Amino acid sequence: MEAGLKPLGREKFWLWAMLAPTLFGLFFSAFGSLLATLALSFTRWDLLTPPQWAGFANYIALFKDPKNLTSLLNTVRFTAMYVPGVVIVSLLVAVLMNRGLKGISFFRTAYYLPAVTSAVATALVWQMIYGKDTGILNYLLESLGLQPVCWLCTDMALYSVVIVNIWGAIGEGMIIFLAGLTTIPREYYEAAEMDGAKGLQKFFRITLPLITPSIFFQTLISTINAFQAYDYIYMLTRRGQGDSSVPVVVFSIYRNAWHFSNYGGASAQAIELTLIVAALMGLYLWLEKRFVVYE
Amino acid sequence: MKRTLFSLILVLTIVLTACAQAGGTPAPSGGAAEIRFMAWGDPAELEVWKQIVADFEKENPNVKVNVEVSDWDSYWTKLKTLLAANTPPDIFAIDAPLYKDYQSRGVLLNLKPYLDANPGLLDGLYPVTLKAYETPEGYFGLPRDFQTIVVFYNKDMFNAAGIPYPQQGWTYDDLREIARKLTKDTNGDGKVDQYGFYADLWDMELIWGEGIWAHGGDVISADYTKTLIGTPEARKAWQLFHDMIFVDGSWPDANTAAQYGGDPFLAGVAAMTTIGHWAIPGYAEASFKWDVAPMPAGPAGQATSVNSAGFVVAKATKYPQESFNFIKFVLSEKGQTRLAELGFACPVLKSVAESPAFLEQEVKVNHQVFLDSLAFARMKPSFKGYEEWSSVIGDGMSVVWTGEAELDATLDEVVKQADEVLAKNR
Repeated sequence: MEAGLKPLGREKFWLWAMLAPTLFGLFFSAFGSLLATLALSFTRWDLLTPPQWAGFANYIALFKDPKNLTSLLNTVRFTAMYVPGVVIVSLLVAVLMNRGLKGISFFRTAYYLPAVTSAVATALVWQMIYGKDTGILNYLLESLGLQPVCWLCTDMALYSVVIVNIWGAIGEGMIIFLAGLTTIPREYYEAAEMDGAKGLQKFFRITLPLITPSIFFQTLISTINAFQAYDYIYMLTRRGQGDSSVPVVVFSIYRNAWHFSNYGGASAQAIELTLIVAALMGLYLWLEKRFVVYE
Repeated sequence: MKRTLFSLILVLTIVLTACAQAGGTPAPSGGAAEIRFMAWGDPAELEVWKQIVADFEKENPNVKVNVEVSDWDSYWTKLKTLLAANTPPDIFAIDAPLYKDYQSRGVLLNLKPYLDANPGLLDGLYPVTLKAYETPEGYFGLPRDFQTIVVFYNKDMFNAAGIPYPQQGWTYDDLREIARKLTKDTNGDGKVDQYGFYADLWDMELIWGEGIWAHGGDVISADYTKTLIGTPEARKAWQLFHDMIFVDGSWPDANTAAQYGGDPFLAGVAAMTTIGHWAIPGYAEASFKWDVAPMPAGPAGQATSVNSAGFVVAKATKYPQESFNFIKFVLSEKGQTRLAELGFACPVLKSVAESPAFLEQEVKVNHQVFLDSLAFARMKPSFKGYEEWSSVIGDGMSVVWTGEAELDATLDEVVKQADEVLAKNR
């Protein structure tokens, strides 16, 4: 930050005054419920009768439960594919959008559409694409003489779901990157051109370093979204009552609490997830110090 | 739709900090009692409930009933939150298998004194529908309507193949044979596009409970301590389903069925299915002609499952007598006739079930089959932890139905896990 932007004296007072309601709300709702969840994770509670102290029983049960490990692995694998996917694809799209070609506004709208349509409706469309015998994708494969693939069967479902989620997130990522790209002064590119830099060189030497703050922000947001991803996954992989062939952690927390009345166990899972996200955020902040360039 | 970590935490916090006050709203100055009644259902149901309430309020001018209807998923979340905050609705709908779970956690009112004051009230109801609500201490709830599972068949497909419709007295062998005959590749592209049979294998209610009973097995011991779906008799039923899917190919596997919205029968792809009366309004929109037949018989005779939706009164209610009066009214001829008009369930009151209100409703199929099936119907079990138990089985077996796991070994594993759930909830 430039010196001129540092709030001082009276400005400082107003800054805090304006932020107070939000901070107050955040502190009590987020922090308060975090503490409540932490406390609940050491109890046995069915929501209807008083909680009973259980010590570390819920955590021990978690480590013993193969289903917990499965859902954790699903979440981690999902995140590992989703985050780089969203960041890379939306950055590419944003760079293309930023070239000021004719008719670009149409594409901009098209890419942003998934962000504003209902997840349930789009999931239904994706179901038509992924169908085993009736799907568009397999029809195309077969007309090329290839073997059809069962896109939503257990071994492929995770990848199929990641693709849908990335597709759904490009719009928002593109907006973030476009905002970032517009802050890069034209003069840099002009100067580089004078020195004979080519397109790709310009991208890797100027655009990429200067857009690191947006990349960092987008990575952070995508990670949080990945850990909370739920709607497309559920719509595309559900089977039976509240079951899914790709159970992710959020899914199993919800089911544990509201379906099985095991609020202590669900709280322990929530704490487990919080710790993982917190550890990742710590890693990101350390990476930010090293790699993010602020002008 | 997005159920984030935070929303869960938030709800828990609301629950924790909710001020404890008893249910119901205090009486307004007119001295009228205000009762809150909550149920799951769709907008059409809300309209019918409003009419029932209007009828009731006419007869009970000093009671006001507020009805709230939500969809199945959010209903339970809302209900549990309200119960935890000690502000439950005075009356709420319950699904019989979950009834014991709530009853065992002490949130329901024992209706015994009110039933004792109304001798003969339950005489007109089908006894088998009452069974689920019986406890040693008395009734903590009563059924509102019931569902027996029957076979729905696509008349057009039977006619085209020249096969006679299923009749009372047919067997599982007949079912398998007919299903095989009705499985076809109609457009000659080398892929099956008409299947003989489909039923959902996740919950016991639609086919696997019936199949196990008809083969002489059982799903759970009478004291709810042992899961019995792995006995030799039960395995005969599982094997039959497995062979129909993977040997005959007359029953689409789970992945194939998912492409048809999970209901190949409604999609006009499967010739037969097994489901309850609730499917009728949806099937009435289908583009083909269909009717219903009773379940087939197995080596141990005929069997089907009966389940009911019921009512319970919250222990915290301020108006137990008025709440009971409302339930009594819904179980009366007037209330039951109104409910029958909805067309998605069978009345528990015998006189209404056997009247034109039910038998000659808008969708003209053989509704009598649902009533006749009570003669060999068995109750869907109801015990503490039912939902987790049924999920362990449904989830555990699902890999068999997608063709990813072997039947017998999976059954062994699932029985073990299901018994652990039973032990935990004892």
